[in-house]
Amino acid sequence: MESNICIRTKNLNLFYDAFHALKDVNLEVPQKEITAFIGPSGCGKTTLLKCFNRMNDLIKDCRKTGIIEINGTNINSDIDVNALRRDVGMVFQKPNVFPMSVQDNITYGPMTHGIKKKSILDNIVFDSLQRAGLWNEVKDRLNKSALSLSGGQQQRLCIARALAVSPLILLMDEPTSALDPISTGKIEDLCEELKMEYTIVIVTHNMSQAVRISDNTAFFLLGEMLEFGKSDDVFANPKNKKCENYITGRFG
Amino acid sequence: MIKTQKTQRLKESIFKSIFAMTAVFTIIAVIAIIIFLLFNSIPAFQKIGFFNFIFGKEWNSSSTDTYDAPVSGMYGILTMIVGSLFATSGAILVGGTLGFFTAVYIVEFCPKRLKQILSNSINLLAGIPSVVYGFFGMRVLLPLLGNFSANGDGSGILSVSIILGIMIMPTVTALSKASIEAVDRTFYEGSIALGASRERSIFKVIVPASKNGILASIILGVGRAIGETMAVVMIAGNNPVFLTGLFSSFRTATANIVMEMSYGGELQTGALIATGVILTFFILVINICFNIVRRPNNRNRSRTKLSDIIFKFNINNDKTNKNVNAEINKHQFLIRSKHFDVVAVSLKYLSLLSAIIGILALLTTIIFIFVNGLPYITSDLLFGEFTYGGNPSIASSIISTLMLVVITSIFAFPIGIMAAIFLAEYSRKDSKLVKLIRLMSETLSGIPSIVYGLFGMLFFTQLMKLGTSILAGGLTLTLMIIPTTIRGTEEALLMVNESLREASYALGAGKLRTIRKVVLPGALPGILASVILGISRIISESAPVLFTMGASIKPMPKNFSSSGASLAVALYALGREWMHINESYATACILIILVLILNTLSQLIAKVLGKRLKGT
Ligand SMILES: Nc1ncnc2c1ncn2[C@@H]1O[C@H](COP(=O)(O)OP(=O)(O)OP(=O)(O)O)[C@@H](O)[C@H]1O
Ligand SMILES: [Mg+2]
Repeated sequence: MESNICIRTKNLNLFYDAFHALKDVNLEVPQKEITAFIGPSGCGKTTLLKCFNRMNDLIKDCRKTGIIEINGTNINSDIDVNALRRDVGMVFQKPNVFPMSVQDNITYGPMTHGIKKKSILDNIVFDSLQRAGLWNEVKDRLNKSALSLSGGQQQRLCIARALAVSPLILLMDEPTSALDPISTGKIEDLCEELKMEYTIVIVTHNMSQAVRISDNTAFFLLGEMLEFGKSDDVFANPKNKKCENYITGRFG
Repeated sequence: MIKTQKTQRLKESIFKSIFAMTAVFTIIAVIAIIIFLLFNSIPAFQKIGFFNFIFGKEWNSSSTDTYDAPVSGMYGILTMIVGSLFATSGAILVGGTLGFFTAVYIVEFCPKRLKQILSNSINLLAGIPSVVYGFFGMRVLLPLLGNFSANGDGSGILSVSIILGIMIMPTVTALSKASIEAVDRTFYEGSIALGASRERSIFKVIVPASKNGILASIILGVGRAIGETMAVVMIAGNNPVFLTGLFSSFRTATANIVMEMSYGGELQTGALIATGVILTFFILVINICFNIVRRPNNRNRSRTKLSDIIFKFNINNDKTNKNVNAEINKHQFLIRSKHFDVVAVSLKYLSLLSAIIGILALLTTIIFIFVNGLPYITSDLLFGEFTYGGNPSIASSIISTLMLVVITSIFAFPIGIMAAIFLAEYSRKDSKLVKLIRLMSETLSGIPSIVYGLFGMLFFTQLMKLGTSILAGGLTLTLMIIPTTIRGTEEALLMVNESLREASYALGAGKLRTIRKVVLPGALPGILASVILGISRIISESAPVLFTMGASIKPMPKNFSSSGASLAVALYALGREWMHINESYATACILIILVLILNTLSQLIAKVLGKRLKGT
C-alpha cells in the first residue's frame, strides 16, 4: 500500500496574503488511479491542484507550510521547478491552446526540454495525439492553426500537449466544464484509458462525472478536506454530513 | 526530476537584468533631463530674479548678456505665459467642442455604415504633422482672415485657435469616443425603459457616465496645444506683447524658445531654458490631472453612483402609489421631459453640425494641400540636386529623414520594447519600481517637444560635441519615442491571454522561453503597430530636430554626422519663403501621404492582432 502512494501532503496549509485557503490538508493520492476533488466553488480545489506543480509560485503573497511529496520527494525543497512541471502535467478549465499549428502545440513541450531531433518529435506528435484520441481527427491538418479546432478538440489537444512531455501525473482542473456532452464523454473515456499509465487528479463540479470515472474522491469545504475515500464508498454512504448534503445537492 | 539546471537559471537572470537595465534607463533619462534643465536654468533665474522672470511684462533679449556682466535686455515672460494660456483656451474651445460633439455623433447618431469610415479616418488624421497644419494656416487661413482684420494681417489668436483646434480635434474625438463606447449599455436601456427619449438618455445618462474619459481627452488636448510649437510660430505673429484683440500678434512660450534658441547668448539661452522649465512644469501639472481623472476606480465610482440613481429611480417608481404617479405624469413630468427634449434634440443637431464642421475642416486642409501639391511632386523635386536659391530639391531631406528614422529606431525601439517586457512580464503590477518607471516614462512623454529640442541642442550637439547632425537629432528623438514605445508594447503584451503563459509554465517552460515562444509571437502585431506609429512620429516631428539636426535644406548627407533638414523641417523652411511655395505644398503632400500610409499600416496590423487573439 505504502509504495502505491504517488502524491502525499502532510499538514499542508496555504495562505493568500492573510486568507487561509487550505487548512491542514493530509491527502494520499494513489498511483495510476483517478482521484476526484469535489466541493463547492471557492473551497480550494484549484489551489490544492496547483500546489502539486507549484503553479502558485507565480502568485504574489502565496505562502505554504507543510509538506508535499511526489513519489517520496519533497517538492517544496530546492528542486528544478521546470522539471517538476514536466513530470506533473496540467490541463486547464478552458482549453488554452497556443495560437500555433497543431503540431507546434505538441512539440512545444518536448522542445522546451531539449528534444530537437525531427524523427523523435514526429513520433511524439503521433503518439500523444493517438493517446488523446485525436490523431484521426487532425492527422490531415497538423499544420493548421490549433485555434481552428472545435472546443472539445482543443481540450483534447491540451491533454495531448501535456502528454507529450511524458508526465507521471496529470492534473485536470474541470477539464470538461466548457464542453458539450459528447466532447465530455470522449474526455471521460480518455481518462479511463490514461489511468493505465498515469496518475490522474481531476477537479469536477459534476457529481455523476466523479462517480463515473474516479476511483477515489476527496471532498473539500472552505479549505478543509472533510472526506476522502474510495468513490463508491464516499458516494454510497458519506461519513461527513456536509459532504452528504453536497453530494445530494442540498447545498453548493 | 530533481536536478537543478544551473546554466538555465543563469541565462534567465542575465536576460532579466538586461530587461531591467533598459527599464532603469528611462528613469535615469528623465532624471538626467530634468536635472540638466533645472541646473542650466538656475543661473538665469538668479540673475533675472524668479518673480521678474515670471511676472515681467517685457521681453527684449540681448545676445550679449552674460551671467557676470550687468543685464542690458529685459527678460519677462508674462506676455508669453498669457499667450500660451489664450492659445490653449482657444484651441480647446474650438477643438474640444468639435471633438466632443463629433465623438457623440459618431457613437450615437451616425449611420452604421458611416461609423467605421469616420472613426478610422479620424484616427488617421490624428497623426498628421503639426507643420502641415501650420503651413496650411499660414498659406490659406491667414490671407482669408486678413480680409476681416484692420491691418490686413490675419495672424493672431483667432487663427491660432482655429488651427490648433483642428489639430487637436482628432485626438479629442478618438479618446472621447472610446470612453463613450465604454459606458455600460444597460444604463441606456434602463433610461429608455423609464420612458426617456433616445436623445435624453444619451445626453443625461450616457454622456455624464463617460464624463471622466471625456475630461481626460480634453486635458490631453490641452497638453498637446500648450506644447505645440511649429504650427503656432507660423501663424501667431510672435510679438512678445499682450493680446489686444482677435488679430493682434502674440507669442507663446514654446514660440519664444524656438525663435531665439539658435542664436541665444549666455543669459538669453538660460532664460529660454527657464521658459522650457516653466512650460514643462505646466504640462506636468496637466499630466497629473490627466492621471487623476483617468484613474479607473474613479470612473467606477461615478458608474456605481449612476446605477444607484437609476436603481433608486426604479424603486421610487414602484413605491409611489398610482394616484401620485398619475399626478406627476400629468403635471410635471410631461412638461419637463418635453422641455428637456428640446434641449436634447438641439444637442443632437449640434453633434451633427460639429461632425460636419470638424470633418469638413480636416478634409479641406488635406484636399487643399493635395490639389496644390500633387502636381508639383516632380522627379526634379524628389531626385534633383539641391542648389541654394536655385533648385529646391528635397532629395537630401528625404535621405536625411530615412537616416533619422534608422538611427532613432536603432536606439528607441529595442530599449522601449525591452523595458516594456520588464514591466509587463517581470514585475508585479503594483511594485514600487514599476510605479516609478511608469511615472518616469509618463513624465518623459509629457515634456513638450520643443523642450526636447532645447535639451538635445544643449546636451547632444554642444556638450557631447556631436554637432548639428542626424545622430544628435536621432538621439533627441529617441528620448521622445521611448515612452510611447513602452506603452504600446506593454499594451500588446498584456493582451496576450494569461492562460497561454500558464499553459507554457505548466509544461515546464521557463520564463524566457515562455516570453520568446508564446508571449512575443502573440504580441508581435501590436508591437509592430506601435513601432510603425513611432516611425510615423519620427517623420512628423519638427521642433526637436530643428536645431539638433539642421534647420535648412543641405546637400546630400554623407554620414550620420552630416546635418540637414528632415522632411518636416524642410516644409517649415520652404514654407516660410514665398519663392518655393509649390514645392512646399508638394512636400506637405509627401508628409501626409507617408504618415497616412504608416498609420493605416499600424491600424491594419493591430487589427490582425485582435483577430489572432480572438482566435478566428
Ligand atoms: N490568487 C489568489 N489570491 C487571493 N485569493 C485567491 C487567489 N486564488 C484563489 N483565491 C481564493 O482562495 C479560495 C480558493 O480558491 P480556488 O480557486 O482554489 O477555489 P476552487 O475550489 O477551485 O473554486 P472553483 O470551483 O470556483 O474553481 C477562494 O476563496 C479564492 O477566492
Ligand atoms: Mg477552481
